[in-house]
Amino acid sequence: MTGAAAAGVPLGMYLGLSGVLFMLGLLGVLIRRNPLLLLLAVELMLNASNVALVGFSRYWNDTSGQIFALIVMVVAAAEVVIGLGLVVSVFRQRAQLDVDQMSEMKG
Amino acid sequence: MGEQIAFGLAAAGAIGCGVLVITLSNAFRAAVALIGTLLSVAVIFLLEAAPFVAFVQIIVYAGAIVTLFLFVLAYLGERVQGSPDRLARYQVFSWIVVIVLAAMGAIVLLSTKLPGIGDAPRPVDDIGSPQAIGDAFLKEHLLAFEVTSLVLLVAAVGAVLLAKRAVLAERGR
Repeated sequence: MTGAAAAGVPLGMYLGLSGVLFMLGLLGVLIRRNPLLLLLAVELMLNASNVALVGFSRYWNDTSGQIFALIVMVVAAAEVVIGLGLVVSVFRQRAQLDVDQMSEMKG
Repeated sequence: MGEQIAFGLAAAGAIGCGVLVITLSNAFRAAVALIGTLLSVAVIFLLEAAPFVAFVQIIVYAGAIVTLFLFVLAYLGERVQGSPDRLARYQVFSWIVVIVLAAMGAIVLLSTKLPGIGDAPRPVDDIGSPQAIGDAFLKEHLLAFEVTSLVLLVAAVGAVLLAKRAVLAERGR
């Protein structure tokens, strides 16, 4: 790297961070059994994608990536509301929270 | 140079808190660790010339969404701890999937021909201010903006229906 290149953080670093965060979230979704912690891990994955989107927005000098990130946030908020509503409503019928035991659709 | 130090600190905070989110068995602590990740990612957004997105991240994510999580955790109380994991012996497959995906991502990232991916970022125009965001939303992405309001409406109606059904079920007992 030249002297001028040391002044900022290149796009590759942002993409690497985004990938690491996404993999953490994916691992959390796969190994966790508690639906609340599963939702937390999904939030981690959504944030990772936002880091990449905003990074590309800066790379191309275009606002569209940030618009995309904001819409991802809205979808995340909606998803959390519905997800938590489902968790609470499942929990009222069963005394245990475990995604492996939610194998019936009957309400 | 200061930007790189800030990036290093924020990235370390985000990854460290992310590891805590997926390893802590106490759901309450995991939610608080998620706040650390969200604030670190907000710092990353500031470095990426997106101040508006950064503050929306703090207000909506760290403020509203995590508060909602904490409310539900407090409501469900101690009972969220869950049963012992009967499928623990299959966890190795999760690790294989994640490691293979990470290796694929690393190969793509290291071999990409995207020009300037490893260089210092070029100077940007005013792309992150509230004015620029509002312009882009209402001039170029109006449909997405309207769909957003529809998504929020559907989520609100769905949450109300779920709550109503739960209340009715409790009254029947």
